[in-house]
Amino acid sequence: MDVTGIVCEAAQAVLGLALAPGVVGLIRRVKARLQNRRGAPVWQPYAELRKLFGKDMVVSPNASWVFRAAPFVVFGSTLVVYLLVPAFITPLPLNAAADLFALVYLLLLGTFALALGGLDPGSAFGGMGSSREMTIAALSEPAIALAMLSLALGAGSTNLGEIAARTIANPLAALSAGHVFAFAALFIVMLAETGRLPVDNPATHLELTMIHEAMTLEYSGPCLALIEWASWLKLTVFFTLAANLFLPWGLATSLTPAGLAIAAVTTVAKLGVLAVAVAVIETRIAKLRLFRVPELLAVSFVLGLLAVTSSFSVR
Amino acid sequence: MDDVFAQVSVLGASGVLIFAIVVLWRHGVMAYISAFRWQSNVLAALTAAVAYFGHDRDLYWVAALMVVVKGVAIPRLLTRLARRVATSREAEPFVNTATSLVLAGLLILLAHAAARPLLEMSSAPTRAAIPLAIGLLFVSLFVIVSRKKAITQVIGFLMLENAIALLAVLATYGVPLVVELGVFLDAMMGFLVMQIFVYDIHDTFDTVDVDALNRLKH
Repeated sequence: MDVTGIVCEAAQAVLGLALAPGVVGLIRRVKARLQNRRGAPVWQPYAELRKLFGKDMVVSPNASWVFRAAPFVVFGSTLVVYLLVPAFITPLPLNAAADLFALVYLLLLGTFALALGGLDPGSAFGGMGSSREMTIAALSEPAIALAMLSLALGAGSTNLGEIAARTIANPLAALSAGHVFAFAALFIVMLAETGRLPVDNPATHLELTMIHEAMTLEYSGPCLALIEWASWLKLTVFFTLAANLFLPWGLATSLTPAGLAIAAVTTVAKLGVLAVAVAVIETRIAKLRLFRVPELLAVSFVLGLLAVTSSFSVR
Repeated sequence: MDDVFAQVSVLGASGVLIFAIVVLWRHGVMAYISAFRWQSNVLAALTAAVAYFGHDRDLYWVAALMVVVKGVAIPRLLTRLARRVATSREAEPFVNTATSLVLAGLLILLAHAAARPLLEMSSAPTRAAIPLAIGLLFVSLFVIVSRKKAITQVIGFLMLENAIALLAVLATYGVPLVVELGVFLDAMMGFLVMQIFVYDIHDTFDTVDVDALNRLKH
């Protein structure tokens, strides 16, 4: 990889880290407006990060090195995933490593590390959160694998850059049943994996319903900031995947200033549209009972299955 | 053009199939009725699309009739039926929701296997969607056998009828209009007869739970 490549990847990392809190801020703001509240400004998450990084850390005496290492693993793995996703340009310098399965399991590595971090201090809530998170992760994995498989079948490759390039070359593919149902399956999995409604409520600390919050309960200060930042970045990763694998138009295919400017504008616009969509959905639906979450994920699984079978039969 | 036609037909057929899966997922008769309404409307849209791509003017009439009979009239009658028998909102299935969703997935796979010889015979651009129509046939049969409430079974039967209409549209671009009219009349009559049955079951047993009909034996 030459200097241009390194600069591209570094720029994407910085942009992703800078955009992620904004996406969450936008979701919260739109949700507040839809609920007739004034709501915090969009840049509130940035202020939260600054506040948390300035604080001291309290660590339970029962905690081992796992507890301390988990935030870095979570943050690192999510950032690596963001480096593989075609957010602004395609193919990326790291495109050779941007395999769909690598991406899914890198994301799961973060989930796994966070679950360990929740279990490690031995608090009841942390363990409960971890066990729930693992249940959901185990159920959403087959659905996400099927959705990915259907995309890969359509493009003839599991490489992200290749899939985006094929869809750009053949716009009709975006309308195919395989694409539409894979998108629906991925959207449901995204809601489950990033702890949004109807699976987890990101706005409360109510102990009976929380999943993500329960795992991070023991964390404080900079470690909490890293975990929160990573979870916002994960949401941005899923949004970018949903936007740029299914509707890749606007991505820069060469490094020209005009192309990059168009790519930046379209990607930010797509993120904005998805954020508003999630906010609207979260306003319209209530949280599911925990025992009904497997049913929702089974729906996602069936959608993935439909996507795969129809990509097979259209081929 | 044939490419677009193939994609549209698979997308439309998948849309029709999805609403049968919604019935397996949601609880409550009102949700089933609206799923049936949407299914019929998507089916009508697909029929109109086949009419456009296949240059078959009669199919436009079939699509319009579908909206009127299955999209408006039957759902309205179903709603009245559901209100009259005041069935409990939760319809308890014999098979739990997650299992029935996975079974539906397996049935769709089975349909793909079953439709293989059909696909080799056909050369129509719509042929890729035929397995989905057969899948809908299986899934709606599964709805009928796995639910206890008579009214849900009626909805399953109506979805079965939609599946046959879908198969006809995809495999042969619809049957002649006269036959189609006869089928509509049959479906309507069948529905009316079943409606009377549901009322009678309700009047006699104070429930539309067909599981309770086992009492007849003793």
